[in-house]
Amino acid sequence: MIIQIKDLHKYFGDLEVLKGINLEIEAGEVVVIIGASGSGKSTLLRCINKLEEITSGQIIVDGHDINGKDVNINEIRAETGMVFQQFNLFPHKTVLENVTLGPLKVRKMNSAEAKKIGLQLLEKVGLSEKANVYPAQLSGGQMQRVAIARSLALNPKVMLFDEPTSALDPELVGEVLEVMKQLANEGMTMIVVTHEMGFAREVADRVIFIDKGVIEEEGPPEQIFDNPQNERTKAFLAKVK
Amino acid sequence: MTDFDFKTEVIWESIPILMSGLKLTIIITASGLLIGFFLGAFFGLLKLIKFKPLRYIANIYIETIRGTPIMVQVMFIYFGLPMALGMRINPLTSAISAIAINSGAYIAEIVRGSVQSIDKGQTEAGRSIGLTRMQNMLYVVWPQAFRRMIPPLGNQFIISLKDTSLFVVIGVGELTRTGQEIIATNFRAFEVWTTVAIMYLCITFVISKALNFLEYRLGLR
Repeated sequence: MIIQIKDLHKYFGDLEVLKGINLEIEAGEVVVIIGASGSGKSTLLRCINKLEEITSGQIIVDGHDINGKDVNINEIRAETGMVFQQFNLFPHKTVLENVTLGPLKVRKMNSAEAKKIGLQLLEKVGLSEKANVYPAQLSGGQMQRVAIARSLALNPKVMLFDEPTSALDPELVGEVLEVMKQLANEGMTMIVVTHEMGFAREVADRVIFIDKGVIEEEGPPEQIFDNPQNERTKAFLAKVK
Repeated sequence: MTDFDFKTEVIWESIPILMSGLKLTIIITASGLLIGFFLGAFFGLLKLIKFKPLRYIANIYIETIRGTPIMVQVMFIYFGLPMALGMRINPLTSAISAIAINSGAYIAEIVRGSVQSIDKGQTEAGRSIGLTRMQNMLYVVWPQAFRRMIPPLGNQFIISLKDTSLFVVIGVGELTRTGQEIIATNFRAFEVWTTVAIMYLCITFVISKALNFLEYRLGLR
């Protein structure tokens, strides 16, 4: 088991965003989290990477309680790659430099090693020829593929995707989903927050429906999409279809 | 009309002496600003730390300096401090210290504002690949913030350069003081102040252009 979440509660001020989440994720599993805006699905993802402090509960990533006192959070973050809705590429660095920053500074590789890994990953996401340009010269889809390569450069055990295609023009969504499918096929453990139901149906091992900070239903995609049991799941799916 | 005749030869005679004053003005400004930049970076970043006492320290420094005139500051350093310390501080050291401490307070606010203006997503991305707070500041936030600092820094550099003229009060032989001294011997106020003004203009013009160029080069990315 690579991730274990026990009775996770998260408040923003007085607002309880996550109301006791329990979740276990096996290595190699692809889990897609769906739910309406404001349901807490992004917050859940951000808690796993400690971009949000949890209010109570426990999150164990690869055997480490990430909120434990003697834990080096930087090491854990390097093991959990995060892909953001807004890409968040470093605009002052070239595409290759974006990808090699982690290997150089976090993994302490020498520049030749880092460059080799960087170029391999850019090839993997189909952007070898863009290695030396700056992010401003890329399309949204290309930027997101670079962001995926940047996370992969640390050789993480888990990849977290926070609505990776929501900020993209419709015609650019496919290229990003393709890269993600490829990753899933290679056996990467992935947690994906998305509104792309087609992707969820095709790639997910398990779909989780979150509503108002509670996991209302979870199961294989066929069950969630074709035969949902929960009334809220049904109502949500009726709206997005 | 007065029968005023403009004497060009006065200008040619003054220039060599004024140049020595100008040299001192540049030395004071450059060394003062160099130290001021480090002070500003230090206190500006201090203001961004969560731990409140450190923020208070930065605030006390910034508010005290911004709230008092630089002329009072330099007279405090040159005339006031020696009484308390029991040792003299020479005029040049006083002048450089005054520029450093004074510009540092303003630069601190420039640094803080620029760093805060960088999107939070940048820090999240940096931390998510495992960079420490320090590494994230060094490699992700600072380089981007530095670009945004250049226009307000240019402004501060020019203000500090002109502030050195106030140091006539402590008798440091910078450009304005040199001008005064020449006039005391030849009484040609019009020619000398015109020359002094043009010299200040030349230097501020060079600073402006140099920073524009730097901004352009960094902005190309």
